[in-house]
Amino acid sequence: MTATALRPTDLRSVQDAVLDTTGPLAVAGTGTAAGWGGTLGPVDAELDTTGLTGVITHNPGDMTVAVRAGTPLRELAAELAPHGQYVAFDAARVADGATVGGLFATADAGPAALVHGSLRDLVIGVTVVLADGTVARSGGHVIKNVAGYDLAKLLHGSYGTLGVVAEVVLRLHPVPKASATLVVDRPLAEAAELAGLVLGGPYEPAALEWTSAGRLLLRVAGTERALPARVERLRELVGGTEADPWADPWAEHAALVRGDGTQAVLRIGVRPSRLPGVLAELPAVAVTAGLGTGVATVALDPAAVAGAHALVHAAGGTSALRSRPAAAVAPAWGPAPPAVGVLRAVKAELDPKGRFGPGRFDPWM
Amino acid sequence: MTSTTTPGPVVRTAFEQVLDPADVISDPVQCRAYECDGLTGYRVTPALVLLPRDAGQVAAAVRVCADLGVPFVARGAGTGLSGGALPVADGVVISLARLKRVLEVDPVDRRAVVEPGVTNLEITAAAAPYGLYYAPDPSSQQVCTIGGNVAENSGGAHCLKYGFTTNHVLSCEVVLADGSVVTLGADTGEQAGPDLRGVFLGSEGTLGITTKITVRLLRTPETVRTLLADFPSVAAAGDVVSDVVAAGIVPAAVEMMDTLAIEAAEEAVHAGYTLGVAAALVVELDGPAEECDVQFEQVKAICDKHGCTRLHIAASPEERAAIWRGRKAAFAAVGRISPDYFVQDGVVPRTRLAEVLDRIAAMGDAAGLRVANVFHAGDGNLHPLVLYSAAAGETERAEKLSGEIAELCVELGGSLSGEHGIGTDKACSMPKMFSEDDLAVMARVRAGFDPKGLCNPGKVLPTPRLCGERPGKYRPHPLEESGVIERL
Repeated sequence: MTATALRPTDLRSVQDAVLDTTGPLAVAGTGTAAGWGGTLGPVDAELDTTGLTGVITHNPGDMTVAVRAGTPLRELAAELAPHGQYVAFDAARVADGATVGGLFATADAGPAALVHGSLRDLVIGVTVVLADGTVARSGGHVIKNVAGYDLAKLLHGSYGTLGVVAEVVLRLHPVPKASATLVVDRPLAEAAELAGLVLGGPYEPAALEWTSAGRLLLRVAGTERALPARVERLRELVGGTEADPWADPWAEHAALVRGDGTQAVLRIGVRPSRLPGVLAELPAVAVTAGLGTGVATVALDPAAVAGAHALVHAAGGTSALRSRPAAAVAPAWGPAPPAVGVLRAVKAELDPKGRFGPGRFDPWM
Repeated sequence: MTSTTTPGPVVRTAFEQVLDPADVISDPVQCRAYECDGLTGYRVTPALVLLPRDAGQVAAAVRVCADLGVPFVARGAGTGLSGGALPVADGVVISLARLKRVLEVDPVDRRAVVEPGVTNLEITAAAAPYGLYYAPDPSSQQVCTIGGNVAENSGGAHCLKYGFTTNHVLSCEVVLADGSVVTLGADTGEQAGPDLRGVFLGSEGTLGITTKITVRLLRTPETVRTLLADFPSVAAAGDVVSDVVAAGIVPAAVEMMDTLAIEAAEEAVHAGYTLGVAAALVVELDGPAEECDVQFEQVKAICDKHGCTRLHIAASPEERAAIWRGRKAAFAAVGRISPDYFVQDGVVPRTRLAEVLDRIAAMGDAAGLRVANVFHAGDGNLHPLVLYSAAAGETERAEKLSGEIAELCVELGGSLSGEHGIGTDKACSMPKMFSEDDLAVMARVRAGFDPKGLCNPGKVLPTPRLCGERPGKYRPHPLEESGVIERL
C-alpha cells in the first residue's frame, strides 16, 4: 500500500491533514534521519513538512525567532546571519538540509552541546498538532517563562510519536566574533586526560571532541582581541596546532557522525568519566566522543548493536540507534527506561489510537 | 482539570503505619505553620503534615495517599511566591525538609547528587572546594531548596547567560502519584526518547515529588567584573541593555532598579546606590580574563554614551557583594517604605521594557498606588512591587493592579511568570496566556502522570472551583459536617 502524501504549508493545513486522515501517520522532513529510531510500521499517510517553512517572527533585539518546523536549519541560519545571530546548535546533518522540526524531534545535537545543550535547551515555545486535530501551544516568545507545562521538552526526542511539531520558537545567541580550533593528536585515553585538564581550568572551550582519527579537537570562541591569548594559553596546556581554517577538522568530525552507510550508527551517552572505558569495550569502527558531554557517536556492525545497548545501559547510560544499512536488523533502543509507564500513559493521553509514528519506539511504546 | 476522586477520610493511623508516629503532625496549631508559603495571602490548614525522613518514606506516604484517595502537596522551604505549596484542606502536606543530604559531589564529571531539602546555596557550598558551583541563583538561594527549584524551574539573576533549573538538572528520582518511584532523565544532557525530565521540571509539584536530583556543576569563572551605573531615565538604562546585546555581549547578569526600589534598598542595607536617581543598572560579566576585560571596556563605553551619571566598578569581592546585597535586598526592603506590597513576576520581550514600564506607571497613577520596579533587564523579567496599605483598605485595589500588570505582560507578547510560577496565585490568569485547548492538553499530560489528580491539585491549571470563587477560609467537608469523617 502506498501512503497518501500530505504536504501542509501552514498550521491550519497541518491540522487539516491530521483531521482528513484517520489511520496511522508518519511525519517526515527532508529525510536526513528517516531511518533513525525504530523501524516505522505501516502508515496510511505521510505528512511531509518540507512545505511548512519560513520564519514567522524574528525580532533581532529580543534574540528570539519563531519558525515553521519544516524550515531547514541552514536556511534559517542564513536569514539570521546578517543580524549577527545564530541558533547555537551544530548537529552534523544541519549541513545536509535537516529541518528544525526534524532535528528537534530526533533530539539531535552537535559539538556545541558542550556549552549550549541541544535544541531542548534552546527551544522556548512550541506549537503541536495532536492526533485528534487539537492545536496546542506551550511556552512563548520570551526566554524566561515558567507559565504552564513545558510541552516542548516532552516533544523533544519524541520522533513524531506524540504530535506533529508545527512551529517552534528558539532562543538565539550572538555569533562569536572569532573562533579557532586546536588539533591535538592523541589516543583516546590520553585525550581524555587532556580534556579533564581543559575542563577543570578557566579555558571555557566552545566544543571539545575526540575522533577515532586519533585527534582531540578544541574549539575556542570569543572576541577578536581576546582570542589569540586564549588559544595560546590553551596551547601551553595541551600542545597541538591551530587548525588551518581551509582544512576544517569539524567537517571530518561531522562525516564520522553521519557514518558511511556500511555500518550501524549508535548514539550513546554515559557519565563523561566512563566514556573512554565504555568506548574501549565497544567493537567500534569509528567514533566521535564528546569528552565533556559524555555523548558519543559510534559506528559498528549492525550485529553488535544489541550488545552495545546492553553495555551502555550497564554503565548507566542511554543509547539510540541512528542510521544503519538498508537490510540490517538491529534494535533501535536499549532496555526501557524506568519511567516507561509514564511514557505510555502520556502517549495514551495524547495519541490514544496510536496514530503517530507506529514502531518508532518499539518496544517501549 | 477536575479531580476525579472524592477525598477520603484523612486517617492518621494509615500514615503511622509507614512513618514514625511522631512524624505525623495532626495538631492544628502545628499544622498551621504549613498553611501558606511565601504568598501569604492564601492560607489553608492541611489535615495532616507528614515529615518523612527518606525517599522510601516519601514513597510509602504517597502510596497511602493513593490508596485512600487523599490529595497531597509537597513542600520544601516554603519560600515560593505563587502559592504552589498551598495545602489542600482535605489533604496532607508532605514536607521534604528532612531529606537534606548532599549524596555526592563529583568534581570530575562536574555534578552533584542531592536530596530535595538541600538548599540551593548548600549545593554551591559543597561544590566550592572543587572550584565548582551550581549556576541557577534565585534571590532566596540561602533558604530555598533544590526540590522547590525543580518544581518551579527557578531562575535567578544569572540565568540570562547560564539558563534555568531545567538546563542544569540531568535527572530526578520521582515518586509518582501512585507511589511508584521512577528516574526521569539520565547521566547526560542528551537522552533517548521524549524528555519526561523536561516536562517534570517546572510542573510545580503537580506531576510527582522529587526525592533525589542530579545537577550539573559549572567551573567557577576565572574573572567576574561588576559595575553599578546610574542613569537619568529608565529609557536611557534600557538603551544601554539594548546596545550591550547588539554588541554581541551576553552578560552574566543585567539588573535594573528604579527610584523607589533604590530608596528602599538603600534604607535597608546601605549598599552604596545613589538616592534619587531614575534608574540604576547592575551589569556583571564573567569568563576567561582576556574576554572579560575586552567586553567590560565595551560596556563602560556604552554606559557613557547613554548619559551615565555615575559609574561604580566593584574593586573587590566585598564591593561586588555590596552591589548584589542592594539588589537582592530590594524585595524585602520595600517593606520599609510601605506597610504591604505584592510582587509580580511578568515577562515582556526585552525590547518592550520601556513601554511596559510607562504603562505600569500610568496604571499605578490611575489606581492611586505606588509601584517600585526591580527587574532582570537582560531577559525582560519584571518584578513590579505594588505598594499598598491593608490597614487603609487598599488590598483589593492593589491585588487588582498586580494582576493587571501580569496580564499586561502577556498582552505585550510575554508571560505571566518568569520564575515565581503560576501556583494558586495566577492559575486563574492562565486563560489570558493560553487557549482552552492549550490548557486541556496540559491537563492531558498531567493525567498521564497522575490520573486521579491527587498531586498538588488546584495549582497551575485553572479550575472552575478555584477561579469561580475567591479564595476563602476553610469550610468543613460535607462528610465531616455530617459526622461521617473527622478531621484529625
